Amino acid sequence: MIDLNLVIEVLIIIFKVVFVTMVLFSLPMPLTWIERKVAGHMQARLGPWRVGPHGLLQPLADTIKLLLKEDIVPENADKFLFKLAPIISMVPAFAVFVAIPVGDSFKIPFIEKTFTLYISDMNVGILYVLAIGGLSIYGIILGGWASNSKYSLLGGLRSAAQMISYEVALSFAAIGVVMMTNSLSLVDMVRAQDGGFWHWNILYLPVGPVWFAVFFIAALAEINRVPFDLPEDEGTLAAGYHTEYSGMRFSFFMLTEYVAMVTASALAVVMFFGGWNAPIDFRTIEILTPITSVSWIYSCFGLFWFTVKVSFFIYLFMWIRFTLPRYRYDQLMTVGWKILIPICLGAILVTGFMRI
Amino acid sequence: MMEQVFFYIFSIIAVISAISVISARSAVRSAFYLIITLMQVAAIFILLRSPFLAAVQVFIYVGAVMVLFLFAVMVLDIGREKLVAYMHHQSVIAVPAVIVFFIMGAYMIIRGGWNVSNAGFPEAALAKSSEVIGKEMFGRYLFPFEVVSLVLLIALIGAVALVLRGREKDKQC
Amino acid sequence: MSGIGDCIIGFVKKALFADFIKGLNITLKYNFSKSITLRYPDDEKWIPHKRWRGLHTLNKDDKGRELCVACELCARACPTNCITVVPMEDDTGKGITDRIAKIWTVDIVRCLFCGYCEDACPTRALRLGRDYELSVIDIKGTFKTKKELLQQKDIPEGVEGGVIAKARFVRTDDGIKVVADLGQTKKRKL
Repeated sequence: MIDLNLVIEVLIIIFKVVFVTMVLFSLPMPLTWIERKVAGHMQARLGPWRVGPHGLLQPLADTIKLLLKEDIVPENADKFLFKLAPIISMVPAFAVFVAIPVGDSFKIPFIEKTFTLYISDMNVGILYVLAIGGLSIYGIILGGWASNSKYSLLGGLRSAAQMISYEVALSFAAIGVVMMTNSLSLVDMVRAQDGGFWHWNILYLPVGPVWFAVFFIAALAEINRVPFDLPEDEGTLAAGYHTEYSGMRFSFFMLTEYVAMVTASALAVVMFFGGWNAPIDFRTIEILTPITSVSWIYSCFGLFWFTVKVSFFIYLFMWIRFTLPRYRYDQLMTVGWKILIPICLGAILVTGFMRI
Repeated sequence: MMEQVFFYIFSIIAVISAISVISARSAVRSAFYLIITLMQVAAIFILLRSPFLAAVQVFIYVGAVMVLFLFAVMVLDIGREKLVAYMHHQSVIAVPAVIVFFIMGAYMIIRGGWNVSNAGFPEAALAKSSEVIGKEMFGRYLFPFEVVSLVLLIALIGAVALVLRGREKDKQC
Repeated sequence: MSGIGDCIIGFVKKALFADFIKGLNITLKYNFSKSITLRYPDDEKWIPHKRWRGLHTLNKDDKGRELCVACELCARACPTNCITVVPMEDDTGKGITDRIAKIWTVDIVRCLFCGYCEDACPTRALRLGRDYELSVIDIKGTFKTKKELLQQKDIPEGVEGGVIAKARFVRTDDGIKVVADLGQTKKRKL
C-alpha cells in the first residue's frame, strides 16, 4: 500500500525542481536581451533592434545560431575534460537554487497541503550555497587548462587565484549575516528580517552596510563580473577561459554566467534585503487584513517583492558592468587581501560586541 | 534500504575515482578525480545525518584546497619523468606501510570497533547538527580546538618564514 | 592643517564610494537619455551634405550631352591610378565636343575619395556624388562604368543635405536597397 501523502509530497518536490530548472534555463534569454539593451542605452545606442520589435527575438536567433554552430574541440586538448568542463560549470550554478527561498510557505486551497516556495530548508543553507556555488569555478579552471591554449590557461589561473582570494571575504560576509540573524538556514535568515525595512540586515547599523559592501564586492568577484572579470578579460586574453569553446559548450558557459548573476542577486536579497518581506509590513495595516490574512495571497506578494528586489540587483550588476573599467591583477589581489579581509575582521569584532 | 542503495552508489564512485586519482596520467586529471572522491565523501556525510560536515567538506576541501592544488599544478607543470624521480625512494617504504594500514583498517571494521551511533544524541538534536557541533566544539572540546588552531597558526607562520628566508638568500647571491 | 582635513574627507569619500556613485549616476543619465543611433536600413537614412565625397558621377549639360571630353586629366591626377579612360572620336553629338570617352571606369575598391579627379576635371563632368552605399556581393561590381555613372542619382544635386530622411528597406531581384523619402526629413539632434 503506497502512502498517498508521500506520493503527493514527492510529486510536489519533483514539480518544484523541474519548474525551477526550466525557469533558470530560460532566464538567460531575456537577460541577454536586457543586458544588451542596457549596454546600448548606457552608451547612447539602441542595442538589438532588427530581429523582432525592439530586437526582442534576438536571444532566440542567438540560441539557434549557437545550437547550429560547429562544436570544435582543439587538436591537442584534453578531450575528456574539455567536453566535461562546461557541464561541471553549469550543474552547481543550478544546484544552488535548491536552498534559495523565493517566498514563504502557504496552504494550497482545497487540498489543505502546505506548499513551500523553496525546495529545501536546510539548516546549513548558507554553507551549502557558498560551497556548491564555489564549485562552478572548476568548470572555468579545468576548461581553461584542457583547452591547451595560453589564453585559456591564463584565464583559468586567474580565475583560481581570484576565487581563493574572494571566497574568504565572501565567507566572512556570510559569517557576519549568520551572527546578525543567529541561523545558518536561509529561510530562518529571512524570517529574522520580518516586519518592515528597518529590520533588514542592511540597516543593522553600524555593521550592516559594511557587511553588504564586503559581500557585494566579493560576489562580483566570485561570479566574474566587471570590474573583476579577469578570467575572460577580452582586452588581454582574447576571451579568457572560453577562447577555444564554440557552439553549445560556449553557451553553457554563458548560461552559467547569467545563472550565477541571478544567484548572487538572490543571495544579496535573502541575506541583506529581507528576502520576500515587503518594505512595510502590510499585515499590520488593518484595512488590508482580509487580503493579507489569506496565506496564498500573502505568499504571492512575497514572491512579487522578491522578484522586484532580485531584478533591481540584476540591473545593478549590469549597470556596474557598463560603468567601471576592469581592475588590474595586482589591484584585484590588493583589494581582496589587504582591504576586504581586515575590514571583515574588524566588522566581526563589532558585530560580536553588538550581539552579546 | 534506500539509504543503503545510495551509500553503495556513493562509495563505489568514491572508490573508483580514488583509484583513478593514482592511476591518472596528468596531474590535473588526478586532481579532478580527487574532487569527485571528496564530493562522494560529502554525500556519505549527508547519509550519516551530518549536513554540516558535508557542507564544510565541500566548502573547504573541494572549494578551497583543491583550487589551490590545481593552481599549483597548473603553475608548476611537473613533467611525468620528474614525478617518477621524486617517487623513487618513497615507494619502498610506502607500499608496506599502505598494506599494513589496510590490514589494520579491515580488522577494525570487521571487529566493529568503530561503531559509534549518534554519539549519544537523540535523532531530533542531530537535525540541527550545526548547533550541536558548535556547542560541543566551543564547550567540551574547547581546549583541543584551540590547540589545533595554534598548530595551524604555527604552520602558517612557518610557511611565511620559509619563504622570507629563501628570499633573503636570493638577495645575498 | 588642510592636509589632514583633505585626507579625512578623502577617506570618508572612499568609504562611502563617492566616486563610484558619481560614475553610476552618469551611466544612469545616459540610460534614460535619447539614443543617437540612426535606425538605418529600416526607418531612417542619412542624407549627406553637398560637400560629401561619395561615388563618382558623370554629368551631362542641359541639352543632355555628355560633359566628359576624355581628356584623361582625372586619370593623371588620381593618386591610386584607379581611373581608366579610353577616348574615342564621336561626331554624332553625344558629347559637347567630338571626343568622348569610349571607356570610363573607376575601381572604387582602390579609390580613396580624395577628390583630385573632381578638381582636375576641366568641364565639371566628373563630380563625387552623395551615394555612399557602395558594398557589392561580386568583386566585379566594384568597377563602376560610364553607363552606371551617367545615370540619374537618387539624391538630386539641388537637395541640401545634412538631414535624416525617412527611409524604406526594399528587397528587389537586383539586391537590397534603402529608398529615402526626401519629402520627410528632420535635422539631427545631438
